[in-house]
Amino acid sequence: MTNQYFSKPVAQNVRCVLLPLALALGAPAAALAQQTVKGTVTDEKNAALPGVTVRLKDGTAAVATTTDGTYSIKTTGPADILVFSFVGTVSKEIIAGAQTSLNVTLLPDAQQLNDVVVIGYGTASRADITGAVTSIKSEEFNQGVLTTPAELLQGKVAGLNITKSGDPNQRPSVVLRGPSTIRTVNGGVTEPFYVIDGVPGASIDLLAPDDIATIDVLKDASSTAIYGTRAANGVIIITTKRAKPGQSRLTYSAYGALAKVSKKIDVLSGDELRQYLADNKTRPLTTPTDDDGSNTNWQDLIERTSYATNHNLSFAGSANATDYGASVNYLKNNGALINTSLERLIYRGFINQRFFNNRLKLGVNIINSSTTQNDIPQAQVLPGMLFYLPTVSPYNADGSYKENYTRTGQGTLNPLSLANNNTYVTKDSKTLVNGLVQVDVLTGLKFTLSGSTQRAQTNYSSYLNSQSGLAVNLGGVARRAEYVNTNDVLEAYANYDRTLGLHSVQLLAGYSYQQDRTNDGFGITTQNFANNALGFNNLYLSNPSSLAQIAFDNNPISTLRLLSQYARAQYQYGDRYLAQVSLRRDGSSVFGVNNRYGYFPTAAVGWRIINEEFMRGRDLFSDLKLRAGYGVSGNSQGFDAFSAILIYGTPPGSSKYLNNGAISNVVNAVRNENPDLKWESTATANIGLDFGLFKNRITGSVDYYIKKTSDLIDDVLPVSSTEFQYTTYTANVGSMTNRGIEVALSVVPVQTGAFTWRSSLNFSHNTNRIDNLSTDRFTIPYIQTAQLGGKGQSGNYSQIVQPGSPLGTFKLWHYLGKNEQGVSTYQKADGSVTATQPLTTDMQEVGSAQPKLIYGWANTFTYKAFDLNFLVRGVYGNKILNATLAGLNNPADARLQNIPRFTLGESFNDINGYLISDRFLESGSYLRLDNATLGYTLRPHTQYVQALRFYVSSNNLFIVTKYRGIDPEINIGGLTPGIDNQNFYPKTRTFTLGLSASF
Amino acid sequence: MQKIYATSRALLLAGGLAGALFGCKNVLDVPVESQFVAANFPTTLSDYNASVGAIYANLSSNYAVPYWRMQTLATDEAILPARDGNFDDGGQYRQLHYHTWTPDHPNVLTIWQWAYGGITTCNRLLNVTNTFNFTAAEKEARLAEIRAMRALYYFFLLDLYGNVPIVTDYPTAPLPATQPRAKVYEFIESELKALTPKLPAKSGTSATNTQQYGRPTKGMVYALLAKLYLNAEVYGAPARYPDVVRMADSVQANTNYALDARYRDIFLPNNGPQIRETVFAVPYDQQIPGNQFTRFGFFYYLTQAYGFNVGLSIAMSTTPEFYARFNLPGDARTKTWLSGPQFVPDGNGGFTTTPVYYPNTTDQIVINPVLTLVPPKPMDLGNTLATQSEGVRSIKFYPDPAIIQATRLNGNDVPVLRLADVLLMKAEAILRGAPATASNGEMQTPLVLVNKVRARAGAPAAASIALGGLLDERARELSWEGWRRNDLIRFGQFETEYPLPNDALKMDKSTFRRLYPVPTIELRLNTNLQQNPGY
Repeated sequence: MTNQYFSKPVAQNVRCVLLPLALALGAPAAALAQQTVKGTVTDEKNAALPGVTVRLKDGTAAVATTTDGTYSIKTTGPADILVFSFVGTVSKEIIAGAQTSLNVTLLPDAQQLNDVVVIGYGTASRADITGAVTSIKSEEFNQGVLTTPAELLQGKVAGLNITKSGDPNQRPSVVLRGPSTIRTVNGGVTEPFYVIDGVPGASIDLLAPDDIATIDVLKDASSTAIYGTRAANGVIIITTKRAKPGQSRLTYSAYGALAKVSKKIDVLSGDELRQYLADNKTRPLTTPTDDDGSNTNWQDLIERTSYATNHNLSFAGSANATDYGASVNYLKNNGALINTSLERLIYRGFINQRFFNNRLKLGVNIINSSTTQNDIPQAQVLPGMLFYLPTVSPYNADGSYKENYTRTGQGTLNPLSLANNNTYVTKDSKTLVNGLVQVDVLTGLKFTLSGSTQRAQTNYSSYLNSQSGLAVNLGGVARRAEYVNTNDVLEAYANYDRTLGLHSVQLLAGYSYQQDRTNDGFGITTQNFANNALGFNNLYLSNPSSLAQIAFDNNPISTLRLLSQYARAQYQYGDRYLAQVSLRRDGSSVFGVNNRYGYFPTAAVGWRIINEEFMRGRDLFSDLKLRAGYGVSGNSQGFDAFSAILIYGTPPGSSKYLNNGAISNVVNAVRNENPDLKWESTATANIGLDFGLFKNRITGSVDYYIKKTSDLIDDVLPVSSTEFQYTTYTANVGSMTNRGIEVALSVVPVQTGAFTWRSSLNFSHNTNRIDNLSTDRFTIPYIQTAQLGGKGQSGNYSQIVQPGSPLGTFKLWHYLGKNEQGVSTYQKADGSVTATQPLTTDMQEVGSAQPKLIYGWANTFTYKAFDLNFLVRGVYGNKILNATLAGLNNPADARLQNIPRFTLGESFNDINGYLISDRFLESGSYLRLDNATLGYTLRPHTQYVQALRFYVSSNNLFIVTKYRGIDPEINIGGLTPGIDNQNFYPKTRTFTLGLSASF
Repeated sequence: MQKIYATSRALLLAGGLAGALFGCKNVLDVPVESQFVAANFPTTLSDYNASVGAIYANLSSNYAVPYWRMQTLATDEAILPARDGNFDDGGQYRQLHYHTWTPDHPNVLTIWQWAYGGITTCNRLLNVTNTFNFTAAEKEARLAEIRAMRALYYFFLLDLYGNVPIVTDYPTAPLPATQPRAKVYEFIESELKALTPKLPAKSGTSATNTQQYGRPTKGMVYALLAKLYLNAEVYGAPARYPDVVRMADSVQANTNYALDARYRDIFLPNNGPQIRETVFAVPYDQQIPGNQFTRFGFFYYLTQAYGFNVGLSIAMSTTPEFYARFNLPGDARTKTWLSGPQFVPDGNGGFTTTPVYYPNTTDQIVINPVLTLVPPKPMDLGNTLATQSEGVRSIKFYPDPAIIQATRLNGNDVPVLRLADVLLMKAEAILRGAPATASNGEMQTPLVLVNKVRARAGAPAAASIALGGLLDERARELSWEGWRRNDLIRFGQFETEYPLPNDALKMDKSTFRRLYPVPTIELRLNTNLQQNPGY
């Protein structure tokens, strides 16, 4: 019986892929056979299910179904109970009886949709997970015109805060369990790390939502730390759709959508503005420059009803020793502002072939995504369409755009001209090639070698034509730039899984090498073209009159390398006790020579209380698990690769000097050296409880965490100019802590034959606090951020980062109402009241952009062939600085710029109502009916069509909020969250008609 | 157990194999492909020159705006009033005007960092020069150039902040301590005196002048020493008036310096090495940023009449009190101001008879020299067309027609030291007790010197001159050249108030404000710094 443990019912825990292998190595010879039972196992669609474990409940015999779903097992007698189990389905237990033929249909496990969870470098049964992991399957994804994977999860994962404006080209901002960095360099700093089909760091732009099967969100460090230094903001693992063994599938899905801006700012019409000025006995507008008799609604001219369309064709198969698949996806999403759009085409294909009795698996996966983005100068158009005088026509009598370049105030350029005379086109082609070698060395021991290369080529083109208000008298300004970014990753790791009696062990050890090389390219700007016909297409035809009119991009190549080793051990005993330890050692070229290597350990334990003896017979509970974990992960995302070394360059603002009559380049230090620069590290302690009640009619989990990030890196730390060459420094300076609680609940309130209602609710609370910003060497009392400008407020800061306060703390002038003259008054630092513009030293802390609660509530109703879904989500307790409204609220300048209806309730004499103060710090709480979808699924009884689903869907049907701006879903990521400063691309209300067919 | 052992062996083997393939340590020493680092810079003479260029590019970056504002907006020479809340900018301009700045004032920080940035760059380049492959003579000349520029940066610090650390080495020992103002004065003097023999003299050939333009020369050091000695008492040292005279004569001894015939030419956009009286200037160009006189000081309704079309700020002018000094008949220097009805310029310093109108009107633009404040907004003129037209605008640094909207730069070089200033310094030193001397065969009394300057400007000769008249002559000759604060402090008039109509705020007349404070951030970063008294 040397091979007994192979045939032992390896139980629920072992991965299905191992089972055929186990069989191949030798099935048991059951001596006491009295009867042989044969049959076929099928799924709900009557398709054969291979790989299903069939075993005797009391005994050792176990077999797996073959590729055609058939099995044959010897029983000891009619009293034997046969157990049929397969990942993702509800297991069945059937008494053998006298029958010799037993066909079984296994149905998908609705309550346990998340049964298999992808963890770093492997998968695990949800029951065995010790960390905080949320898995979302494609059926649960958000619906609508969603172009990035993050949008699929909005409102679905506790602790994951996602914000997105209406801009088709803007990526959503994603923050998991609160911010954990004070760096500013770029968005990657605060965003989770993405792993796509095992490729770490792959671009999420590569994926069409239609191709995604599941998304696993790894939230606590005990889960993420296996990805070491890139995982401090959480890890999002995406698994694409494949075919089930022995099956082939063909699906086509498509939708068309219409979108309208969901809210406008109510500004005055031309007539109303004229009347307002007349009522207040002020001089009328200057004719014809500021008043030509028009009533122009600039928002209507810039905004449009836009459409989007998406087609996805996908097929895949799995037969014998081969899996393959391919898909193509086309998306066109026009923005709600004219001349903005996203067009994307994605091709994807993969093939895996197994050899040597399935002991060797070779695979190749290729994805190419090409996008074309069209944009307008949003920084000018967005304020312009609110501020520009409604009394002016967009056009002169000769059809040219009307401009008055001498007008002061805000929004001085014709917004329609801005949108039509400035073209920004970004073309991007990303290709990911991933090769995989997997060897089953010994039973239970698997070695994987995975190499991938991602190449992104981005082509930026812009043309500000000769009519552009941004390039007056320049005869057209054209820019072309071309950059290539490559990411090479090599992962080599071995997994060893073994079960011995009640003990079960999974071991992992691996090695990884990664190189990210970015910014390899160039860009040129030139000007003065004979006419506008050719746009940016031929820079040779430009005619610049001096060298100063030609500019080259300064975008240094940045190469970052990571070298890592990692190991993990998981242990389960008796299906009750779970333990995990892991360690990753990362070396990164970014850091100072003294601190290049970082160690990222974790330890976690779990207790499956439900399987304890004392829980027997307590039928209330169907699942109960307690888990606790601690781990440390790092953050090396979003870095310039050469942050730690002395760099000479041409300093901005002082790059040229006069050298013997010739204007020459200067080269000087632009970065100080810091050989001690080291990892930001985030330590998370997480304790969680998973439970199931009433046979899993109610399931859920509660997690509490403390996440402490230390050695925070400040990349613009001011240093003494008497000591350092360059006035800022990149150094480790402090720490911050996030504490929070997350609750997720799934309920099936109604489940009858024809009607089911599933409901899931998640909410989370997080508090963020900066602990300190000082080290032995450097003391920073605070960092001021968010310079918003505004009339007479150049250089003023609106937020402060300081110990004891959360990131995103507003520091503003305190508004004290209006005095008898109707003039806004403010509090000075000494407590006195002033009716004039206070000083910057009069500002005080007045709230924070961090929400107290974020929540989502998803519901699915199915009745026969109909399904209805809706999602409500929102945030509560955050503050938004509505600097847009502050700037607009300027009655004294109503002769230069339009005012909102809000200002009609203000005194005309309010000479400083426009100042950015806490008067415009508003509640950002909202509740949004994010999506409602009604679907009908047709299952024709033909062999060609499996299912046809039609649906209508609407996004952003309504919102409940007190926020006075366009929408409270203001960017919450980065160093300056929660600020609406004339830069919000309006959100839309979308109606979608869609179809999906599977064959 | 056997199996587990075998497994761990296999794992180790796999890991080891991978480690052997990729594990070499220097994988993490990524080559820097597209930037200069210590390994590849500076190696060539071009590298060296580009490095030295940093001293000058740094100088130009902040000289004509933040440095100039500290030296000028704190006086009657210029004012940047708010226009109905615009240009209040956290109160930074009115703080300068009313002497109520704090250690957090943006210019106070910028200029401190600017000067020390320049000094640290000089210190580093002294090391580079010492190890670079130069002949002994080349090395000496280049070290002298860098030390002279360092002395100039220290002079700015001496004049503005007074008590500052003296840093001469790179790498700098951490946290250098504040030195008293007199020490800083002595350091600058000893440096400059040591350098005179090693620096080149202004020549008569234009190629050499081009080469030396914007760089230290013997003349620059003499003129700077004259400045230092003239203000010696202010800087906490004994009076040195005869030495001012001596230094002024040293400048004049080189007859390649001469007053240019046309006052206007000194400041035109095309000014440069051909200007014979310039002793040291900061070169500017559309590609060398930092000069924005047109952006801040010109009147934007006049742009098209002056041949360009760029949106400008509306804000900065001189005060009526200062402008009142420009009252001499025929004085070319009066024409650097725009006041009253405006006409299209004739391109040669004069005006045609064609009026300039407000846009889309037939109302001639009239600039009103009176600045009438409109309370309650602090130092605010309001923002109507009429109040926009208040304030005498300057065309001394004449609008550069090459100006573009994106940068709004002037290409006019800005003189730091020039012969007319040297002559007036000599006159002042004699009035303050130094014996008069002859220069190039001419006996130079204060009146002779002042009248030389007046004659060039086409102004009538003065019959007599005393200290008060000399200060006014300096105001006329050197307006908006960044010396007014220095002059007023020397004459004890820095605290003289010049209220505007409806002025609700009062100047803080504390004399401790003759020094600017050490910026808050720098105090926090370097605990050995001492704040100036009073702050």
